[in-house]
Amino acid sequence: MNSIIDIENLTFEYTRQNAVLKDISFQVKPQEFFIIAGPNGAGKSTLLNLLCRSIIPKSGTIRIDGATIESYNTRELAEKIAVVRQEHVPIFGFSVIETVMMARTPFFSPLGFENEADRKIVNEALEVTETDRFASRPLANLSGGERQRVLIARALAQNTPMLLLDEPTSFLDLKHQVAMYDLLKLAQTQKGKTIVAVTHDINLAAQYCDELLLLSSPAALVPHDDNLAKGTYYLGEAKNVLSPDRIKKVFGVSVFTGKVGKENFFIPIGKYARDRNSVLQQPQDS
Amino acid sequence: MSAGIVLVVVMFACSLIGTEPISLKAALLKTDAPSTVNPDHEILIRVRLPRIILAAIVGAALASSGVAFQALLHNPLADPYILGISSGAGLGAIIAVLSGFSWTIWGRSPIAIFAFAGAVGTTWLVWFIGRSTKKFQMTGLLLAGVVVNAFFSALIMFLTSIAKSEDVHATIFWLMGNMMEEDFFVLWIGAGCIFAAIVALFYISPQLNVLSFGEDDARNIGININRTRTVAFAVAALATAIAVSLSGLIGFVGLIVPHGVRLVFGPDHRQLFPLTAIVGAIFLVTADTVARIIVAPAQLPVGIVTAIVGGPFFLILLVRHSKKAIW
Repeated sequence: MNSIIDIENLTFEYTRQNAVLKDISFQVKPQEFFIIAGPNGAGKSTLLNLLCRSIIPKSGTIRIDGATIESYNTRELAEKIAVVRQEHVPIFGFSVIETVMMARTPFFSPLGFENEADRKIVNEALEVTETDRFASRPLANLSGGERQRVLIARALAQNTPMLLLDEPTSFLDLKHQVAMYDLLKLAQTQKGKTIVAVTHDINLAAQYCDELLLLSSPAALVPHDDNLAKGTYYLGEAKNVLSPDRIKKVFGVSVFTGKVGKENFFIPIGKYARDRNSVLQQPQDS
Repeated sequence: MSAGIVLVVVMFACSLIGTEPISLKAALLKTDAPSTVNPDHEILIRVRLPRIILAAIVGAALASSGVAFQALLHNPLADPYILGISSGAGLGAIIAVLSGFSWTIWGRSPIAIFAFAGAVGTTWLVWFIGRSTKKFQMTGLLLAGVVVNAFFSALIMFLTSIAKSEDVHATIFWLMGNMMEEDFFVLWIGAGCIFAAIVALFYISPQLNVLSFGEDDARNIGININRTRTVAFAVAALATAIAVSLSGLIGFVGLIVPHGVRLVFGPDHRQLFPLTAIVGAIFLVTADTVARIIVAPAQLPVGIVTAIVGGPFFLILLVRHSKKAIW
């Protein structure tokens, strides 16, 4: 099968007793928009860290573009995968353009300076992400949404076929959440990037992704009760993976559901929520 | 470039300032009879010039090491002495005095040689302990530095309290930072080493830029972080050790010069290393000139001048830091 990321029987554990990820297998096709969702502690970020080799799996294989991830050196891997982590501010006051230019560091001349090609790539990344307006401002002076776009610009400037994102919308308001997904979609369709993003926001993710991996925490092992369930995770198109029952099972929360086009949407309803009983068709008390 | 010219001008101007007024014209005038002594020439070439060159070397070394340590430790408050180099050098110096050695290498006193060995040895020890903490390497390194510093300081105090007072006084005075007149041969060796160190740091400066975004980001961008860190650490520590063995402990240069330059010219390490080296040299040459003349005919240890100027300046920076959190 033609896949750019190929995960086989992946297992990872921080302590002996508890495997965070257990026997996971999936493939990501080139230029696919792939979402990894699931509750806290289900191993989403662990999986992302495995994919960029920040951590090493206990067992199983990860193939990137046909070769095992161990066979790449740091620079070769950086030419395949760019990573956008949850936003943070560096200790020194680098400007936006300096930050984005850092993506080109491995390609600098021995004297440590960028060339015309580097500048062109950086300017393009600034334009696509609409961060060129404040290119010379220090990163620390930007809002969370702006800063997140700068980090996306830096990842784009790395010129990799794959983009890995760790909760790209977690600090953003509604408008910026949507703008972020639009930007990622643009990177996918226009730049041909493969997007792999970890997110909590299943509603928004469902509207954009091609494939969704729903991880469950191993503590609440998912029984093999349907054809999508594979041990501790579900895999498939969002509209097939996400259902009220599964969300109840995986996240442990009751949801109000409806449809936007073909996609289901889910609004969590808490135990003491005002309209709980009228909203949930079958009130479930836990 | 223009900063380099300013350095030359400052060094030149400072060589003409001093307790004993000298005339440049007289100093450079060739005497017909070689046997007659030209006092202006003697003071300029044999006394002031070596001292100014020494101050420039030490200032450049401390300032650029300060930049490297701040980037390496992710800590804008780091200075070249933070990982125990100062107490290591101090311990070495005290041991040299107590053991009563009198031999020299390249005209260096045992104090200087033991201080150098103490500085390098301590750095190695701290690096070794820091590395074994693995996951939180940089925090581990800082903690190891602090603890080793405290331990060696206690040893210094112990040795001081059991030693004869005049020996100890000499050591403490030396440690306070002094620009003794030096042999030109030693100066050129020192200058060569420090220049090589600054070139090496400049060479890894793009990698240090990325490292300030954190280890994970740097790795994902394709930086060999272990190599970058090892080079930065080894080079900065050696440069500091050389500076300490040349002139004792001179505080604040390695802290305030990097901050001042960063505030004015931005945080890009590619600019920062050459600029801080030059500004550090200018700062120390100026401070030493002040130290020479302010209580003339007596002279102050230059460490006192840098601390008196540097202390308030640093506090101002600290207040600014808490206000806008950008450097």
